[in-house]
Amino acid sequence: MDRTFKALSLILSYPTTELQAAMPEISGVLAADARLTAAARRALRPLLDDLRDKDIYDLEESYVLLFDRSRTLSLNLFEHVHGESRARGGAMVDLIETYRAGGFEPASSELPDHLPMLLEFLATQPAADAHEILADAAHILAALGERLARRQSAYAPVFSALLQIAGASADSGAVAELLAEPEDDPNDLAALDEVWEESEVLFGPDPNAGCPQVREMLGRMDEPVKPTPGVAAE
Amino acid sequence: MSHLLDRLNFLQSKELEQFSDGHGQVTRESRDWEETYRNRWRHDKVVRSTHGVNCTGSCSWKIYVKSGIVTWETQQTDYPRTRPDLPNHEPRGCARGASYSWYLYSANRVKTPLVRGRMLKVWRRMRKTMSPVEAWTAIQSDPILRASYVETRGKGGFVRASWDEATELVAAANAYTAKTYGPDRVIGFSPIPAMSMVSYAAGSRYLSLLGGVCMSFYDWYCDLPPASPMTWGEQTDVPESADWYNAGYLLLWGSNVPQTRTPDAHFYTEARYRGAKSAVICPDYSEAAKFGDVWLNAKQGTDAALAMAFGHVILREFHLDRQSEYFSDYCRKYSDFPMLVRLEEKDGRLVPGRFLRADDLTGKLGEKNNPEWKTIALDRKTGEMVAPNGSVGYRWGEAGKWNLEERAGAEDADLQMSLVLEEDHDDVVGVDFPYFGADATENFSTGDTRPNVLTKNVPVKKVKVGRKTEMVATVFDLFCANYGLDRGLGGEWAARDYAEDIPGTPAWAEKITGVDAGKIIHVAREFAQNAEKTRGKSMIIIGAAMNHWYHMDMNYRGVINMLVMCGCVGQSGGGWAHYVGQEKLRPQTGWLPLAFALDWGRPPRHMNSTSMWYAHTDQWRYETLTADEILSPTAPEGDWDISLIDYNIRAERMGWLPSAPQLKTNPLEVAKAAKAAGKEIPAYVAEQLKSGELEMSCEDPDAPENWPRNLFVWRSNLLGSSGKGHEYFLKHLLGTEHGVLGRDLGEEGKQLPREAKWHEEAPRGKLDLLVTIDFRMSTTAVYSDIVLPTASWYEKNDLNTSDMHPFIHPLQAAVDPAYESKSDWEIFKAIAKKFQEVAPEVLGKETDIVALPILHDTPAEIAQDQVKDWKKGECDLIPGKTAPNYIAVERDYLALYDRFVALGPLMDKIGNGGKGISWNTEHEVEALRALNGVWEDGPAKGCAKIVTDIDASEVVLMLAPETNGEVAVKAWEALSKITGREHAHLALPKEDEKIRFRDIAAQPRKIISSPTWSGLESEKVCYNAGYTNVHELIPWRTLTGRQQLYQDHLWMRAFGEGFMSYRPPVDLKTITKEVQDDGDSLVLNFITPHQKWGIHSTYSDNLLMLTLNRGGPVIWISENDAKKAGIVDNDWVELYNVNGALTARAVVSQRMRDGTTFMYHAQEKIVNTPGSEKTGKRGGIHNSVTRAILKPTHMIGGYAQQSYGFNYYGTVGANRDEFVVVRKMRKVDWLDREASSKEAAE
Repeated sequence: MDRTFKALSLILSYPTTELQAAMPEISGVLAADARLTAAARRALRPLLDDLRDKDIYDLEESYVLLFDRSRTLSLNLFEHVHGESRARGGAMVDLIETYRAGGFEPASSELPDHLPMLLEFLATQPAADAHEILADAAHILAALGERLARRQSAYAPVFSALLQIAGASADSGAVAELLAEPEDDPNDLAALDEVWEESEVLFGPDPNAGCPQVREMLGRMDEPVKPTPGVAAE
Repeated sequence: MSHLLDRLNFLQSKELEQFSDGHGQVTRESRDWEETYRNRWRHDKVVRSTHGVNCTGSCSWKIYVKSGIVTWETQQTDYPRTRPDLPNHEPRGCARGASYSWYLYSANRVKTPLVRGRMLKVWRRMRKTMSPVEAWTAIQSDPILRASYVETRGKGGFVRASWDEATELVAAANAYTAKTYGPDRVIGFSPIPAMSMVSYAAGSRYLSLLGGVCMSFYDWYCDLPPASPMTWGEQTDVPESADWYNAGYLLLWGSNVPQTRTPDAHFYTEARYRGAKSAVICPDYSEAAKFGDVWLNAKQGTDAALAMAFGHVILREFHLDRQSEYFSDYCRKYSDFPMLVRLEEKDGRLVPGRFLRADDLTGKLGEKNNPEWKTIALDRKTGEMVAPNGSVGYRWGEAGKWNLEERAGAEDADLQMSLVLEEDHDDVVGVDFPYFGADATENFSTGDTRPNVLTKNVPVKKVKVGRKTEMVATVFDLFCANYGLDRGLGGEWAARDYAEDIPGTPAWAEKITGVDAGKIIHVAREFAQNAEKTRGKSMIIIGAAMNHWYHMDMNYRGVINMLVMCGCVGQSGGGWAHYVGQEKLRPQTGWLPLAFALDWGRPPRHMNSTSMWYAHTDQWRYETLTADEILSPTAPEGDWDISLIDYNIRAERMGWLPSAPQLKTNPLEVAKAAKAAGKEIPAYVAEQLKSGELEMSCEDPDAPENWPRNLFVWRSNLLGSSGKGHEYFLKHLLGTEHGVLGRDLGEEGKQLPREAKWHEEAPRGKLDLLVTIDFRMSTTAVYSDIVLPTASWYEKNDLNTSDMHPFIHPLQAAVDPAYESKSDWEIFKAIAKKFQEVAPEVLGKETDIVALPILHDTPAEIAQDQVKDWKKGECDLIPGKTAPNYIAVERDYLALYDRFVALGPLMDKIGNGGKGISWNTEHEVEALRALNGVWEDGPAKGCAKIVTDIDASEVVLMLAPETNGEVAVKAWEALSKITGREHAHLALPKEDEKIRFRDIAAQPRKIISSPTWSGLESEKVCYNAGYTNVHELIPWRTLTGRQQLYQDHLWMRAFGEGFMSYRPPVDLKTITKEVQDDGDSLVLNFITPHQKWGIHSTYSDNLLMLTLNRGGPVIWISENDAKKAGIVDNDWVELYNVNGALTARAVVSQRMRDGTTFMYHAQEKIVNTPGSEKTGKRGGIHNSVTRAILKPTHMIGGYAQQSYGFNYYGTVGANRDEFVVVRKMRKVDWLDREASSKEAAE
């Protein structure tokens, strides 16, 4: 088993006192992984220390706030690509099939696209396969990392570490697209307005061109729906 | 994959083998690319379910599941067919439902039980050394500990908890509360059971076994039209949407069918294709407006004036100048028009008083049973006074004469409607009618300076009452005078011509409503002509919009009057179609025992929410409306100048309205004291109340003993959607940050209530514990202490019915509940189990005392023909007669769970029933034992099991006449005993039909006709309300037994609503000099209609719906109003008044009428809502600028149809009379700085 994936799966799971007790061991695994640069390992340390030392209630509150309550930080990966679109159900079905093909059956109450579940699965898979799957999600991981970094969250370095292991650099265009989703950032008002803005109705020379709003709406419907901007309640 | 490499683009193979006459062909190239499409639609199974809390569409859906994941849904198209010449029901469904599977896996879902971190930390610390109840006691006894979590409500700070821990905490809090304050301090709010009745029943069954309080919703939502119980004695009964197709004339009044009744709208379209004419009345150019043959854009809030003018024309042309035979015949038989009303003298002037009753006459017309409840009319043939069959006096205490046959006992009776002919009357006298039209505030004023009393001539008969000779008039003659019609009797305020500006005429209404008098006459005439030619096939589809005004009864009674005058009620294709909120729980009598644990103890505790929230969110402390502003100038003598809360207290004291909490002392302790004193409970309580030893909680809502302590909210977003006076909820009930901008009566130095005790300092944070059970993180969840994740609509088994169609169909668990969620049934079962474990420490077998108001449809409903307050010494306190009844109920707290999961013995012992009839149900209980299995030992030994949600569904289906033909026959036979007429033929053809859960899983099933409802479901007619009243001669459940257009209760007369009239919106005075900032000058009427992009707050946080509607809170304003305040489309604006403030984007539209602003309710506060400059808090929801205001006439009780029923009668939460200041926001502040990053919702 790839203990690094397992360790990352654990630290992205809901903090418990059991996790706190196991933190020295988990930190040891991460410190020893040569796939991570020294800087990446150093960057992980505040989180590892927090998980070991901080009051469990503070850790839990912070986890619920970040990952349960903030849509833009959801650990359900498909939230970020499919959101509330009809493709999501099918994508999750495909992922379950991947788990089954890898010899496993999901056995928790989490949905299959829950990142810690995926990481646990990757821990059991041949390195090449694991890296490939992870690389597929690189743009989501990069975006999550960036959003957490903006919040100065200690969780941010976990995502840089994942990208390093995958050996993949995320497609910057895809990341930018995800990041363009204004989250609950006070300064993103302009971006928010842009998302909801409709094109101006122009009565141009071509009477058969149709209504630009309808055209645009149809165009949008062809694309997968993105997560609701700014819905994260905090 | 595109499979581009496999697909032939330019070539077609020549080796084609054809089959099936050339329709099929064999190809050789790879067809793998087709797999893409196959996979897109692949699934393991299809499960039938629906969307079931507040969507009243009740559409059946196919849910597609693959590998335990819901992949998509499509509309079911297998409803049973209708009959020839009637369109089928499908397709049913709308964009909201079609996007639900995507919502199911939304990131907004609650995944695990969540508990406020600070609370859980203390709890765990206490639990190390203490038992659960001790731990909760310790937290509650320490004000600092309690405040530590109370004050952080709404500010984040949740942590996950296990089910075991969360339910233990809840159970301990409930046990502590029952022990310390009384079980009636544990309350629960959940709406609209019809849409998922088992989920509702789960919580209400738990509460009822505990002795907790179930809160009403229909009245609180202001969807209950009190005019319906006033007129018909019925909560709300309406035609199914298919019956629109049978109408010849459809009037859409304040109802936006294509927008809010999407699945039913096709019947409206089909009716128009068939040739029905349609008029649409609404102030804005709504989606429905464009479908009308004519659109009447009446000014908002003036509908009653329009209705009165319609009525004026109908009376003139179809009842007076020419008498339509059908109309007069109908009105004589089915309305109170022929009944005689005593004219009471006040200061030498005459006003319409009480109905003349047998008791008033010498010899009482030989009536010994309830003569004071038998109304009187004149027989046309003999000219003698008779007490016609059917009045409420015949309903109780005797049998066989409660019917609408044209008889008075043994004699035939042909009732006379009018005394207008010379030979029929003894005199013509001036009678005073109140006139409110001149009271309008500046926003509604037409410059009307008429007096507030109009004296009109009425033909009368002289009658000996006791020793006095009194004058009496028929309802019809008074009614015509009230509508301002000249009948050649002379006198003032009677119009001969429609163009005269006299109250009631089209010319008068034009000034008030802005609708052209010509159009009014045109529509009224066509409406009535159609009704006359088709014998009643004119229908009015009415929207809640009109019911949300303070004087909603005037709007509704105006409409109902039109329908009755034209003989439309009870006729196929005609009648009153109010589709809001309640939604018919068709198998009601099967469901009641399950929901309120009537199988174990009776009665349950029910409370009308409006009065409860008004008192306990302390909105009464800010009341701006005084009684004399709404009192009639013709009011009889009385101390009417008390506060609105004082009226409510009197109503509770006299047994009219329910109470919760009930007594200041814990009822478990009162029962013990009664036992110790060796007295019967009712007598003991009466004696203690009289002496003042016991106090009713309502008299002092702010005393800590009287606070509600634990609140469950399930299937509801109380704070985010329906909480009128949202900011008051936050301030007083929850005790957290709030945006109330005004000051209370004490601070303002205004007159304080007389009956309610005033505390200088208002309490903050009455609730010890707020538990919300939801599948998504709603605004209410954000403010809760504990959030429990519930199964969503594709994850549980349940039942669903609607008034829109006659079918019953299921919700089913297509997949297991996501994450750690459980169904409502399993959640309350788990809480019950925990309660049974933790409670024995402080509770055992206890006697509880339940205060029961005087209920409609019970023999007690004729308790008070006169208004007498025992506390003022006007009568003795007789429980159940002059005061609430006080009933001992045995609770077994050691077996609460055992009782929860078993059908208790009272069904065998007492039987079942509803709406005044009852029947033996032993056979059904036995069948349930065989079906669900039997508990072999324990406290429920021998009882049928109700372990799963399907078991619970079977209980409902088995016990209800609507789903069990055998019970239907029994029910009709029970009714036959009272009416003296044979009714069983209505159900006999279906006697062997028993609908099971698996049947409705296979296909929606049509319900069986039952006396619970006034319509029939047959192969000949569509369901329509009042049908059995008209065609089976079953009386309406009113005082007169007829459709009652005159209301004679003392309080109705005092407040000027004996007859319907136009009453302008009230002045709520919420824009004060103190609150209005300099330079803010745009003041608009605040209206909150239903939206297209959500079902209340549900779906309003769904990206697809947000995308269709600008992505966050919006308000609509007209171009002219926008210009005045320098607002352009999409600007951020702020709306405020003394109640609070909200922020939204402006939609500037030509659709809007000047002077109004719309804010579709209910847009979630947690979605894209910036901070308010006015309050410095996150902008509120639509209810942040509203406050509930009670109306005394809704409190009346103990008076036939004006008697309490849960969700049936009572105060309603009106909110349309509100005004707000609208201004452009200077700077949008998202309030997302470091310090408040955790503040979720304020």
